[in-house]
Amino acid sequence: MAGEERNLTPKVQIKAVEKIYEGRNGKTVALNGVNLDIYDNEFICVVGPSGCGKSTLLNIIAGLHEATSGEVLVDGVKVEGTGVDRGVVFQQYALFPWLTVKKNVMFGLRLKKDLTEQQREEIAMKYIKMVDLEKFVDAYPKELSGGMKQRVAIARAYAVNPSLLLMDEPFGALDAQTRTQLQTELLKTWEEEQKTCFFITHDVEEAILLGTKVIVMSARPGRIKEIIDIDIPYPRDQESKMLPRFTELKNYIWNMVYKEYLEVQK
Amino acid sequence: MNKNKKRTDWVSKIPNWAWLLISLIVAIIVWTLLSLGEKTGRTFPPLVEVFGSYVKMATTRGVFWGDVGSSLLSAGIGFALGFVIGVPVAFLMAWYRPVRYIIEPWIQFIRNIPPLAYVPLVVLAVGVGRAPQIIVICIATFLTISITVFQGVINVDETLIKAARVLGADDKVLFVKVIFPATTPFIITAVRLGISVALTTLIAAESTGASAGLGMRIRALSSSFEVEPMMLYIIVVGIIGMLAEKLLKMAERRLTAWQEKREI
Repeated sequence: MAGEERNLTPKVQIKAVEKIYEGRNGKTVALNGVNLDIYDNEFICVVGPSGCGKSTLLNIIAGLHEATSGEVLVDGVKVEGTGVDRGVVFQQYALFPWLTVKKNVMFGLRLKKDLTEQQREEIAMKYIKMVDLEKFVDAYPKELSGGMKQRVAIARAYAVNPSLLLMDEPFGALDAQTRTQLQTELLKTWEEEQKTCFFITHDVEEAILLGTKVIVMSARPGRIKEIIDIDIPYPRDQESKMLPRFTELKNYIWNMVYKEYLEVQK
Repeated sequence: MNKNKKRTDWVSKIPNWAWLLISLIVAIIVWTLLSLGEKTGRTFPPLVEVFGSYVKMATTRGVFWGDVGSSLLSAGIGFALGFVIGVPVAFLMAWYRPVRYIIEPWIQFIRNIPPLAYVPLVVLAVGVGRAPQIIVICIATFLTISITVFQGVINVDETLIKAARVLGADDKVLFVKVIFPATTPFIITAVRLGISVALTTLIAAESTGASAGLGMRIRALSSSFEVEPMMLYIIVVGIIGMLAEKLLKMAERRLTAWQEKREI
């Protein structure tokens, strides 16, 4: 049974992706020959020093940026522009401040013509409940804390039912306690919904806690340095951080990221 | 700290309408003091006489309400046209860079020229009457509104646009459901500045060939040294501005309640 679950064609194929920015001070190679296969239900966490092009890679998969060369295939189809099969959660929440929580979650659903208004409401409420914000359906973003805003953003991304969820340092702006809480919630949701996730973070612990795989990127030009399978069984929770294997992986990955960080400083 | 807190408590205990009343009373006192002075009294006649001149203007000469109506009509139509042209131009400038590069310098250029300077030129083209008044006010409000709204459109948060795109928004949805609502606070500011410009341009707009109007009358009364009714008209212009601001505040509260604001 377990063998059948794993589809042999990758969900996402990143093929020789290169990104070059041409600025006033000449060319900057942000990504240099990135190759990566992501399979169904994987939770990929990407770590690396600032400027290693991890956000650029996410934006290319999302279709928000275009690769200079190379291509990204999702379910075998070449990415050209954005698509609702790929949801994105941004670090800055990006909630529409003039819409209530419910209307924010319904934004993408309203663009799906095949749904009735009642179905849209039901779907929105399902995901608002999932992130535990039923009491705030009619609140405006300005009335919410950072953690609550990010929960709304996650519900909004889930609501349109993407098969791939891209998250760009979603917990980066939150305080340590809220971050821990949201990590636990995200783990639970992922274990239930089994969506393929591509998650960018600065935090090595966060990457190991969440990911089935951790990808370490090297600094300028951005390349994939190593892919590490995280062999800590699910279900995981904050206690998993106490495991000796966790510490071992953390030291290994942290050292690698630190070396890359020193490279950037040079 | 403690002393400061006590003071603010005392300030906030008095309701806003009472503050407005206090402000008015202080203004009347200052005015009265000025009217007692030998030289300042020439500019600030006793308030009773200023308001008493209403009878002369409204009943004896019978021009007061005609002047108010005429000015409101010119300012209203001029402002409305300036708004209707200014807002789309602002969006076009933000959306298509060539449009911006061509039009923005014109706007910046004309903006600093006092309207009084080009009124005669407008009259040369369209003749005397209401048309030149409307055109002058339209130009002045257009300049202010287009620049203000343009700033608003280019300041729309990039991540909101990205978020809408990944949720499936095309260009049309993006414009109607993201860029337009994100710009409403700036549109309201543009309306506020536009109203103010429309009123301050009135005198210039009515300076040539107008047969009625607050601006035209103020100029006429000044050349016959009738200070009391002149002051009355000036006060009326100020009151119209305050009423417009009040109405706008009410609209603003409804339209941009979602906005994060610093309470002052």
